[in-house]
Amino acid sequence: MRTTKENLVIAISMALFVLLLSLVLAVGGLGYILPPPQVRLIASWYLRVTFNPFERLFSAMAPEGVTSIVWDFRGLDTLFETTVFYLAIIGSIAIARGVIGGHKEVDEKKLGLSLIVKSVTRISLGMILAVAASIALHGHLTPGGGFQGGASAAVAPLILLVVFSRYFIEKHGITKNTMLILRSIGLFGIGMTAFIVVIIALASGAPAFVFQNQPKTIAPTGMPFEIGGALTGGTLWFFNVFEMVAVAAGFTIIFLLLAIPEEEYKKILRLGGGEHE
Amino acid sequence: MGFDYILVIIGEVLIAIGIFCDLVASIGMLRFPNFYVRLHAATLGTIGGAVVPLIGAALVAAGSDFLGTYRWFMAGGAVITAILVLMLAPAGSHALARAAHRSGAAKVFPKIADHLEEDRGGMK
Repeated sequence: MRTTKENLVIAISMALFVLLLSLVLAVGGLGYILPPPQVRLIASWYLRVTFNPFERLFSAMAPEGVTSIVWDFRGLDTLFETTVFYLAIIGSIAIARGVIGGHKEVDEKKLGLSLIVKSVTRISLGMILAVAASIALHGHLTPGGGFQGGASAAVAPLILLVVFSRYFIEKHGITKNTMLILRSIGLFGIGMTAFIVVIIALASGAPAFVFQNQPKTIAPTGMPFEIGGALTGGTLWFFNVFEMVAVAAGFTIIFLLLAIPEEEYKKILRLGGGEHE
Repeated sequence: MGFDYILVIIGEVLIAIGIFCDLVASIGMLRFPNFYVRLHAATLGTIGGAVVPLIGAALVAAGSDFLGTYRWFMAGGAVITAILVLMLAPAGSHALARAAHRSGAAKVFPKIADHLEEDRGGMK
């Protein structure tokens, strides 16, 4: 329990903090124009070239600036971020190796929450997936993208896990191994999309960059930015789709591993740990 | 013009009902004696205080001619949100109440009758 004196000290220090911070802002500690104009130069450059048919050599040809920056202007950076995320998932799978999680033969009707919650979940499941798909598939046109769409799609298996229990969804195909396969398909797609322009250019003998999207000065090959008048953003659409699959499957693996009871882990520990599946 | 005006008035009335429900719900949350009655107050806040004013906002948006075509986007978004809340909030509070009763985490203390407890076989 906190005493009154401690509460008083906390309150006064919080008030002092806010006052000092406002003083710093008021006397111009961070400059008088926020954000500073130096940042605005680079921002205006991105705004100019994100979708600009008159400057094809600099443009990403997708109207959504964030996705253009994430998957085109700094594409390799995003690739390595993605790699970090999947290394983390691989690490957690490695920690849980040998833990099967017990395929109990149980009565499905008695598992999970009540019938009311189950029905509502069944109705809302399709809507969750539809929203996730729209976030990811329109990622090059409207705010959103592959990671956001995948994270939204992972809500669906999470809700299934809570409402129907892990035994139920593992019986119906959402297991660690199928998710691992899906995740690998997503990662393979991301890798292939990074090289697709190179592969096209190799066929015609022209030079090309890895992670290239639109034509550049010395590498004239590029992805088409529209198909039949619909904007695709070249490689951006493919990156978003594959990233969604990979992220959704990766998060599902984590949720499945977290849902394994502590007892199962303890069983493995008691055995000495060395056994593999 | 006249029809739009009627829509806006009905929408504002619904929003006013929502404000009243929210006020009653917040008083109930503070004053009610145990978990289950407080949950009842909370559901009053979600249905009466969120779904009803959302439909009211949809009607106001539909009646606001100066917004142009975009008023239909706003109205549609509000109606869909209202339907989702109407469907999901009761399921959530039902799951909460059921779990609390089954686990015995929340005592039914000032009680007149607890038929569910009798059905499950008496006192815990």
